[in-house]
Amino acid sequence: MTHTSDKSSAYSQGITIFVYLAVLTALEFFVAVTIGFVQIMVAVAVVKAALVMYYYMHIYKLNNDNEGEENSYEYKTGTNRLGLWLFLLSDSFVFGALLVVRFNLLGMTRPPLSQTLGLIVTAVLLISSFFMNRAEVAIENGDRKGFKTNIIITLVMGIGFLLGVVGVEWPNAIAEGVWASKNTYGAVFFMMTGMHAFHVLTGIIFLLIVLRNGSRGLYDEKHYPVEAVAVYWHFVDLVWIFFYPALYLIGVLSS
Amino acid sequence: MMKNMNPVWRGLLFLVLFGLVGYALGLGVDFLVVRSLRFSGSVPSLFTLLLGFTAFFFGLFGYRGITRGLVWQVVGTLLGGFFVAGIRAIMGLSAFGDFFFTEPSWVFGAFVGAISFIFGVGAVDDWVKWARGIDTPEEHEEHYHGWEKYFAVSLDHKVIGIQYTVTALLLISIGGLFALIFRTELAQSSLQFLTLDMKLFGQNGPQLYNTLMSLHGMIMIVSILLGVAGIMNYVVPLLLGAQDMAFPRLNAFSFWVAVPASVLLLMSLVLGGFDTGWTAYPPLSARAPVGMQMFFLGVFVAGWSSILGGLNIVATVLRMRAKGMTAFRMPILVWASIATSIISLTATQLIGLSFQLVMFQRLFGMGFFDPAKGGNPVLFQHLFWFYSHPAVYVFVLPGLGVISELLPVFSRKPLFGYKWIAMSSLGIALVGFLVWAHHMFTSGMNEYLRVPFMYSTLLVAIPTGVKFFSWVATLWKGKIETPTPMLFVLGGIVVFLLGGLTGPPNATVSVDLHLHDTYFIVGHFHDTIFGGFVFPFFAALYYWFPKATGRRMNETLGKIHFWLMTPAFFALTLGMMRIGLLGMRRRIVDYDPTMGFDTYHLMLTVMGYLIALSVLIFIYNFFNSINNGEKAEGNIWNSRSPEWQVPSPMPTHNYDQPFEVVGEPYDYGLAGSKYVQFIEKKK
Repeated sequence: MTHTSDKSSAYSQGITIFVYLAVLTALEFFVAVTIGFVQIMVAVAVVKAALVMYYYMHIYKLNNDNEGEENSYEYKTGTNRLGLWLFLLSDSFVFGALLVVRFNLLGMTRPPLSQTLGLIVTAVLLISSFFMNRAEVAIENGDRKGFKTNIIITLVMGIGFLLGVVGVEWPNAIAEGVWASKNTYGAVFFMMTGMHAFHVLTGIIFLLIVLRNGSRGLYDEKHYPVEAVAVYWHFVDLVWIFFYPALYLIGVLSS
Repeated sequence: MMKNMNPVWRGLLFLVLFGLVGYALGLGVDFLVVRSLRFSGSVPSLFTLLLGFTAFFFGLFGYRGITRGLVWQVVGTLLGGFFVAGIRAIMGLSAFGDFFFTEPSWVFGAFVGAISFIFGVGAVDDWVKWARGIDTPEEHEEHYHGWEKYFAVSLDHKVIGIQYTVTALLLISIGGLFALIFRTELAQSSLQFLTLDMKLFGQNGPQLYNTLMSLHGMIMIVSILLGVAGIMNYVVPLLLGAQDMAFPRLNAFSFWVAVPASVLLLMSLVLGGFDTGWTAYPPLSARAPVGMQMFFLGVFVAGWSSILGGLNIVATVLRMRAKGMTAFRMPILVWASIATSIISLTATQLIGLSFQLVMFQRLFGMGFFDPAKGGNPVLFQHLFWFYSHPAVYVFVLPGLGVISELLPVFSRKPLFGYKWIAMSSLGIALVGFLVWAHHMFTSGMNEYLRVPFMYSTLLVAIPTGVKFFSWVATLWKGKIETPTPMLFVLGGIVVFLLGGLTGPPNATVSVDLHLHDTYFIVGHFHDTIFGGFVFPFFAALYYWFPKATGRRMNETLGKIHFWLMTPAFFALTLGMMRIGLLGMRRRIVDYDPTMGFDTYHLMLTVMGYLIALSVLIFIYNFFNSINNGEKAEGNIWNSRSPEWQVPSPMPTHNYDQPFEVVGEPYDYGLAGSKYVQFIEKKK
């Protein structure tokens, strides 16, 4: 597949990637419940992350846009893009360190969590990334209405994810005996989901901002803000690609 | 009468007046909670600190800029504190405690306060406008002129660089003052004035010693981070030929976020203090007084400054270079800045996270580092040192860059092995990520980790050795001139050599088991930090001062500064290492008189005062020369660097004409060679 800017092919590319991601997630889940082979799950997560980074976050754009005059919008957008990626690099150290904490403290065991819920929230976040991609494609092609619809769907799914984790999963975990002050299972679970949920929350705030400004036509010409929010939103998804197996799939269930 | 007063005097008057008001207020508030008057307690001291500090800036500058930020911070802290107190009251928990607020109240309040500062000072004004869909002008207008622009948000990298530098000098003075206090106590064995009977800020003498010793560490570290950022901010865009940093607003944000962080660190002193040392290892840090939390928050918020500052430098270097400035024609300081920024951009997150985890362990009982709940205290040390070891390279790499930058100027010779030096900075930074566990040889980590970490640590000596080799080769047969900046460069090389040579013994497991936690370590790292940061920092200040002000600092005072500080410093660290080898433990308030260390300690204290005196001379020289220094508007160092090819002080938008790089940067003494050429503007 090549990178494409044409609207309908961009849409269909988004769908293809989404199907890949969904199938890979299902495969991951299947591996977890059958042979439980950790290496495969890690490999699947890495492949998913690579797909998201390339086709949804368009990391290759870091190579473009180096032309143009130093004060031109194109050149500055290139600089902004670099800045955002540097920030994400920095942020990924937090999440990486949380994974280190998780495997250091819990090793190859995992907390007793609801598998159904885990799969549902994962699916919701994944689907929201799909619609975020559509919103970005829409605004890049001057389709303000399509942008608005898609970003509202993304927003609803993002809020759904947040409510699912904080409002359903947390009480559910507590009922299962996984609470923050009881043992390291609780501590790790709440720290990881909490830190991630905080990033989802900030993402939702950014989505609201671009929704408002975008509907007023501010991004019809200069749509980098939408791209930035999309990249950030996909990053939040990317983190969950690793957190989901780390929390729900890898390791033996603790008693 | 108030209106016609000198602003500084007015500020000091306000400081005293409102400090007293704050003291009385704090005394009263404290009385309401504990029903007794605690004259040397925490709450009156805290109110004195916050109100006095804010009032000083109010008197100096009025209700705008930094004053507004501080007022918002105080109000935010109180509102946040009362908010949690209210929730606790509803939940039936105690709403107020020994330090007026309870610990959760203080933590939440302090965090809200820090955020409020950012909004109050106006560092996020433009972003808020963008979020609301309002465009802001591309070219930033200065709202203030003269000295006033340093007390409010400015987007000019030169102003921000000076703001960083002056804040760093202020924090160095505070951290140095703490050192003098506990050094005085250590001058003799047994307790003299930090006794068990004394009581200040809710701490007795030895506790206060622990707090001051710990804060000396962290305040100095923050001041170094700010000092490094100051030099990089001021100089890097000039070296690159850029008009500003890549993200001017983020740059301002990075600086201003460090101010509430410093306030939080100072708050930890009065809110019961903490006794862990700057490393804050749990389990001790999990049960130290509430000051511990202020310390965690302060470092956490200061970390944002470092992370975002590093991000900005990387983006600036990658995107804003002048025409023709290929990678291997960049000034060496730019290479060093890149190496530093890569570390601060990434690794800083881990100290933030490790401190956050202890904060949450204290607040919510999450047992990350609590063995009783299945936690692992050694994990903290891994997370902590993963940043805190590379952090020392954040401190020294820009300094080593300054040394490499200035040596050819004053030796009038090309820099020896330019590419090797450039690569050695990156090499140190990358190897630096692989050595952290050498701090943990005695911590009870897995034994099989010891030898690999020993070897990776010894590996650092190779790129560092490359630098020394290049410096010596650059000096060899050079026409060496020794104005003050060069003195500090040479001093820095010698001191850093001493620090470098004492490093490998610490890295060697068998020796480290003996040396760990002794004064030998204290001597070693003061050597590396003085050689790698303090000396080059002073060199950079003497060197670029004329660029910023159009005047130069007094040479005689500069030489006195150098010749007072250097011998005193050698005596200090060599003395520390000597008693360390003999078994003097670090971080303790007292020692056994039969060990025979009294004379040494007295000498160390005297040397400490001499260094303080020399820095005082520097500070006088620095501020006095701004208006009274000898005029120096030309290329006084006879440098090839672009910033010296235009008159000082630097114009607001840097170069009127852009320049193009046409040659090698350090070809000093080669006839006809040229580094930059200014491009004539097309009419």
